[in-house]
Amino acid sequence: MTLALELALIAFVVVTAVFAALLRDVLGSIAVFAAYSLGLAIIWVLLQAPDVALTEAAVGAGVMTFLFLLTIAKTTRPDTEKPLKQVDLKAFVVVAAVALLMLTTVPAMPEVGDPDAPPVSAEHPTGEQTPYSYYIENTYVQAGIENAVAGVLVVYRGFDTFGEAVVVFAAAVGVMVVLKREVLK
Amino acid sequence: MTDSSGFDDRSENDSSTHRGQLEADGGEAGAPIDTEEARRRPYVESQVVMATVRLISPFVLTYGVFVTLHGADSPGGGFQGGVIMAATVVMLAFSFGIQPTREWVDDSALLGLVAGGVALFAVAILTPMAFDGAALELVVLESTTTVAVKWWVEMVEVAIGMMVAGVVVGLFFVISSGVFGTDEADREGDR
Repeated sequence: MTLALELALIAFVVVTAVFAALLRDVLGSIAVFAAYSLGLAIIWVLLQAPDVALTEAAVGAGVMTFLFLLTIAKTTRPDTEKPLKQVDLKAFVVVAAVALLMLTTVPAMPEVGDPDAPPVSAEHPTGEQTPYSYYIENTYVQAGIENAVAGVLVVYRGFDTFGEAVVVFAAAVGVMVVLKREVLK
Repeated sequence: MTDSSGFDDRSENDSSTHRGQLEADGGEAGAPIDTEEARRRPYVESQVVMATVRLISPFVLTYGVFVTLHGADSPGGGFQGGVIMAATVVMLAFSFGIQPTREWVDDSALLGLVAGGVALFAVAILTPMAFDGAALELVVLESTTTVAVKWWVEMVEVAIGMMVAGVVVGLFFVISSGVFGTDEADREGDR
């Protein structure tokens, strides 16, 4: 059941990704891209990564769609009858080669849910405790936080998170200053 | 806020199409916008969208607040919650018109939200130092302030949420003002 759902979702994501790239109508392309993000979000839920799923749904399917829509508001619709773009053969070969190269790493990955997979196992082959099992064991004991992701982000890696926050702050202020100046010209 | 004017304008401009509106707003960039009514015209004239957004936006906002405040106990946190809260404002803007929403949301309030978020995060960094801990050593606070670490973490989540919500809404407004042309330029000129 889950496998069928996963396969259907993966097929959906691949098809929407291809259409998002090939559609001539940018508005349609954006709509398909939002659908792609939503499908990806459901895949994250199935892979038990609800934090990533929430982000994907809110940012990828939600806010990005609105920002894209604003961005294309000044463009015009193509007046050709053909709904799809012509595939550039050279570009396709390059993209396919890169995709194949990346796919060769897939067999090396551990099975989904494998308890002995290196990232989730209790110990490294050398006998040291892995960060994963350390956080799972200690987040609740040390900080009383049930969501280990939040625990890592704020309690153990708070300085990194603060750095990210300040980067977002600085980037946003920079973008706003530049865009405001453009508007006023 | 903007709903009543949105519906009124809709009936007045019934004949113009969605695309025509888009072109009218975007195409005549730089052209002076004459009347208050023309500026307040929502560019998506759909009863269905307006009614749906009016119905679901309180729930979406509540969910955003929930995700932010429950970051320590359930999936999500400040970042996700902040984006969801910002999505409420973006959704309102898209259904009732960006310009009225822009006037409703204060620019300085948005900047205050962003700067306040960073400041609140800084409080979480500095407070443990006041209690003989290292910077950001929130665990120290449990015994000294009798406030559980969890609540300090929630404070950081709220700080992140404020910042992210402010950034997303601000970015949306700034980009929209570039696209549709706002009274921003006029107002600046008047000063």
